[in-house]
Amino acid sequence: MPPPQPTPKKAVPAPDYKTLKSQWDAAKRKKDAEDATKKAVKDQAVTAVEPNNTDEIKLRELRRAALEGRRKKAYQSRWAWTAGFWVWMLAIHLVGLGYFTSGFLLTRLQLDDKSLCDVSPAGQEGGILPAWPGKGTPEGGCWHPKTFDKAVVVLIDALRYDFTVPVDDNAEFHNRFPFMYETAVREPNKAFLRPFIADPPTSTLQRLKGLTTGTLPTFIDVGSSFSGTAVEEDNLLGQLRGAGKRVVHLGDDTWESLFPGYFEGNLSRPYDSFNVWDLHTVDEGVIEHIFPLMEEGRKGEWDVVIGHLLGVDHAGHRYGPEHPEMGRKLRQMDGFVRDLAGKIDERTVLIVMGDHGMDSKGDHGGESDDEVQAALWMYSPRGGFGRTKPEFAVPPATAVERPVNQIDLVPTLALMMGIPIPFNNLGRPIEEVFAGPRGNSWNNLAAAERVAAAGVKRYQASYFAARGMAEEPASTPGSPADLWDKAEGMVSKGNWVAVYSAFAEYQRETLARCKSLWAQFNIKNMILGIAVMGFGVLTLLFYVSKGAEYDEAVDDPELDDAEKSLEIMGVIPDSELPLENVLERKLVAAAFLGAVPGLIGGALHAYLKGTGDYYRGAAMAALTSIATVGVSLYEIKETLRTLVPSTIWGWMAAVFTLSQSIGFASNSYTIWEDSILLFFITTFGFVTALSALRIQSLADRYMAIYHSVLFVVLGRLASASKLCREEQMPYCTSTYYASSTSSTSALWQLAIPFAVSLILPTIIKAYLQPTRSYEGLAPAWIGYVFRTGLFMSALYWVLDSADNGNWISGLPEKKLKNLSVYTAQMVLGLAFVAGTTAFMWAPPCVSIVTSASKSTPTRAQVAILGYGNAHGARYLLLPLNFLVSLILLSKPMGGGALAILFWQILSLVEILDSNSLSATPIGPVMLAILGSFHFFKTGHQAVLSTIQWDSAFIPLFSVRYPWSPLAVAMNTFAAQILATVCVPLLVLWKASPKKKGALAETSKKLGAFVGFFAVEGWMSMMWAGHLRRHLMLYRVFMPRFATAGVVLIVVDLVALGVSLLGLRGNTVAIGEVFGWAE
Amino acid sequence: MPLVDPITMASAVSKKGAASQTVTVESSASPTAETYNLLPVSINQTPLAQTLRHAQPLLLSGVLAFGFSSLVKDPVAAMSSTTLPLTAALQAVYAVICLPVAGRGGNDTAKKAKPRPGEKTSKKRAKEGGNNAYVLAALSLLITALVTPFIYASMVLFGAPFLTHGSHTLLCAAHLSLLGLFPLFYVHGVDASAWAAVGGFRAPLDETFGGLAGALVGAWLGAVPIPLDWDRDWQRWPVTILVGIYGGYVLGKVIGGTTAWGKKF
Repeated sequence: MPPPQPTPKKAVPAPDYKTLKSQWDAAKRKKDAEDATKKAVKDQAVTAVEPNNTDEIKLRELRRAALEGRRKKAYQSRWAWTAGFWVWMLAIHLVGLGYFTSGFLLTRLQLDDKSLCDVSPAGQEGGILPAWPGKGTPEGGCWHPKTFDKAVVVLIDALRYDFTVPVDDNAEFHNRFPFMYETAVREPNKAFLRPFIADPPTSTLQRLKGLTTGTLPTFIDVGSSFSGTAVEEDNLLGQLRGAGKRVVHLGDDTWESLFPGYFEGNLSRPYDSFNVWDLHTVDEGVIEHIFPLMEEGRKGEWDVVIGHLLGVDHAGHRYGPEHPEMGRKLRQMDGFVRDLAGKIDERTVLIVMGDHGMDSKGDHGGESDDEVQAALWMYSPRGGFGRTKPEFAVPPATAVERPVNQIDLVPTLALMMGIPIPFNNLGRPIEEVFAGPRGNSWNNLAAAERVAAAGVKRYQASYFAARGMAEEPASTPGSPADLWDKAEGMVSKGNWVAVYSAFAEYQRETLARCKSLWAQFNIKNMILGIAVMGFGVLTLLFYVSKGAEYDEAVDDPELDDAEKSLEIMGVIPDSELPLENVLERKLVAAAFLGAVPGLIGGALHAYLKGTGDYYRGAAMAALTSIATVGVSLYEIKETLRTLVPSTIWGWMAAVFTLSQSIGFASNSYTIWEDSILLFFITTFGFVTALSALRIQSLADRYMAIYHSVLFVVLGRLASASKLCREEQMPYCTSTYYASSTSSTSALWQLAIPFAVSLILPTIIKAYLQPTRSYEGLAPAWIGYVFRTGLFMSALYWVLDSADNGNWISGLPEKKLKNLSVYTAQMVLGLAFVAGTTAFMWAPPCVSIVTSASKSTPTRAQVAILGYGNAHGARYLLLPLNFLVSLILLSKPMGGGALAILFWQILSLVEILDSNSLSATPIGPVMLAILGSFHFFKTGHQAVLSTIQWDSAFIPLFSVRYPWSPLAVAMNTFAAQILATVCVPLLVLWKASPKKKGALAETSKKLGAFVGFFAVEGWMSMMWAGHLRRHLMLYRVFMPRFATAGVVLIVVDLVALGVSLLGLRGNTVAIGEVFGWAE
Repeated sequence: MPLVDPITMASAVSKKGAASQTVTVESSASPTAETYNLLPVSINQTPLAQTLRHAQPLLLSGVLAFGFSSLVKDPVAAMSSTTLPLTAALQAVYAVICLPVAGRGGNDTAKKAKPRPGEKTSKKRAKEGGNNAYVLAALSLLITALVTPFIYASMVLFGAPFLTHGSHTLLCAAHLSLLGLFPLFYVHGVDASAWAAVGGFRAPLDETFGGLAGALVGAWLGAVPIPLDWDRDWQRWPVTILVGIYGGYVLGKVIGGTTAWGKKF
């Protein structure tokens, strides 16, 4: 055969799938025939000279088809086993994380006891106050003389304390809501204003539970915030209803899901609470419906009105506090409360409060000061409020002075309204309400404090009994029991000031005890979870480190070709590996075999012991399953020793992974994670640039150095996009939004997506052209469809900003919103519906050029452009589909970061290729580091409050399942998702159709990639468990563990559902055209 | 013939990665074929050189220790007025007395075996002997100063402040250049192939290359304590990096010049 000749490139129209295949088949037949006859003549000539060869060719064709069929089947079966292995890995991760979480997230036993009106916990006889008329009945006051018949409770979501007091600056959120402060100063007897401190987590659902039951919420509830669940404990609303009071609810529909059936159906008006982009519907609904109820004639229809307004909260989420909309919203609230106060009569109390605050960007959920500091204002025209000290007359200037716990509202409101305090209450009465107009009704204060404290004591006794625990005896000085005895002993002496403070002391101490008591972790479960995760990580590392050699195919295309033609000629039988030898098959079988005894053992243990925790069987099954898989990996010569890296690249992968994970033990390293990841990225680029100096060919050397430098510079460029967490202050300046106190993009940021749509497709083209892979579907898809998608998502953000900023006045309301949502839906449709279809059916990105051979003009020569990167170029279409949709969902700045991420990934595969690093684990580890790094560059931090909830409304008008959570997840984990989808590129880039073992290799790369996240998850889990009493647990360690856990599951799912599935589709499409190499 | 050939069927099956003509995997996988054989640098045998060779690490540590308290207080002032001039003087004296000038020392044999560009000048220098050492030291210092901005840029890429602390970072970069690179400029001049060997970490370990490797690793490790919330003055930028550079250089130089001399990575 003559040496290959360069063939002039001819413009060949992109052939469709079928013609490409037939062209290839023709070429192949030709070649086979030539090989067989050893004659370099045209195949027509062959037919003419040796006519009896036709039968032979037909026979070979049949054999070839049969062989292809067998290979395809074998491939599909191997794929299924590999997927099975990853399903198992996902299950291990789920069990490990779930088990640890069940022991780690605080749990509190719920008691079903209810307080009764005629059974005062302080006892029936004696007492501090003389008997009052109607004692023990709701009419006179169950446990304390009733002071109000009716109440209007207005909850302004996210009303931070500093919004309501005068502050000497011009911020949009200051000095816009002065009414409450003014009344408290002008008429201290009629009104008071105090800071109202929330117990974290500061999500509305948790807060409503605390505000109605008087207990501390536990973290496990936070997950149910998307769909509220009914409150079963004794609570204010239940007591109100039990006393025959009619409760009307207006506003946030979270109330309806927490208290189904509690409200007057014909008067109540619930509104959807998650439409964050909508600032006005809920507020206007509440205002519209609350005033008619205040009319004299209709006051008989209700006893308590609860109005829950969401505008301030939504303005915070959507724009951040520093925005004119926030100023407008607060002024509206000011006017609303002003009007409402004018309608309140003497028998009614008006309470205005916030359920939590908001951080500097308007979000909440965590426990930073800005998030927990809300405001509480009470007003009554009758003027019954007092101050025990004259200096208390002016409301505190900041929220750290004289704060009230939010749970204190529960006993206060209950005693005011004459109903019993809910059974589980831990709060104490608010001083101003019971101090009397002159602030000297100490006996009244002492009585209220005592009855509340007695309720707390009763609850404590029941709780300890239910838990089977012994209370601390009164002989321990400072214990609640000791404090109680002392306070009770003072009652007879009649010094009410002392009695009041003694009972208050008891309540404070008990509350502190409860807080630490409910921080009781289930250590056994935590250790089980850590063990499952740890052994799972170890198994994964085994799989990655040595399993590769087990079933590595001999990657010699020439040998393979010869073998294949011999098989076709029927000389040797099919050489395909027997299926039993597939590593993943062995592992999956071992996993199932191992799981069975564990499951049975765990269940049996639970049954025999009568503990009832059958779910422990899952952990046992996971452990035994890991053990058998570990043993079967050991069988194929696995030792711990193979885990020790042997090259600088292996060391780098290990150091990057471990140091990052070990760093999670320190709050500083966790806080500065983004800078540390940049440091690693630059280190990698630096070392590869130096390593490139070893490349002999100067052209290759310069290309390799160029890509390394590019990789580093892009990383540093992306690092300019920052969203700082509170702990990074003052060393960090946020750039993700227009300012540090807003959550909208600046005007110049809107240009970023346009620049991306202009530049990115060209860059991708430049990466495909050197291998002549910008062929087939690629020019149309990348140059037009992909670019259009990017342009439309850029357009979306302009429309969104125009809508937010009211750029065009006079447009009908929601016109722009409609337009932008439909634009977003079109982009997503383009990416996922059209994109997936295109990816499934796309021919390889190659072109076939036929020309006359120069040396022997009688002979036709077939050249395939893009042959050498056939796998990689075609697979690239899949990440591109994801890239478009992720850029849309990530806001302008994040879109820029993701474009840089993709560029870096392309440079990374070039670096790996030119430095021959494909056999080392550094590739997938760097990909994982890139994914983690850009998580921070897309406006996130490992804290709850940086979740961009508003991204749920990019493609939707209202919350819809499962699309809304999906959109938020894609926004949050955009970088990790993109990185996961790109893992097969590490194997497929510059792989020709002759590439063997791509599946096994990709699975190993996925192993190293997932391994990075699994190590992070495991280590952050250990640190969170170890540091469970650390001051920073809920601010730093717990959120980092939660992030790592969720990321791990997301990465597992995407690896399984997109990367592996995409690889399969890609291999099938290439194999159909070029024949099966696998 | 175009730079990138379209790939014919025949060739594609014969060579892995042949499709990408711009980046040939095969050639880079075996770099030994044409490796530039750099020999380790020996220290001059004069008694003065041998004494100074051992005294230099102590003196450098002394400079750092002497300047440390003012460094912590005001890094820029301390670096520009104390540590940088002292270190520069020390390094220049060390180079002139202890190190063979470019083209002498161990490199000769390698160069004879394989003539390279730049050999001519080095031969000339070798003939002219030690008088030119001063000129060479001055030239090396100049080159050292010229590469400092590139080191500065690298530090920014690693995450050093981009718009602020410019003089901090630049002075720190000058230290790294002076400690890590200056001795190498003195012994190798601007011989591209020698520098390719050094950059590719294929050069044998000696006092100069060991010092560079140590200084780089030290600077890298120097970043580790920065994020910690200990609120110590010495965490101020770029004190830890500077300490890492000094410590790494001294350690690398001593190890490279003694136990690991002549060994390769």
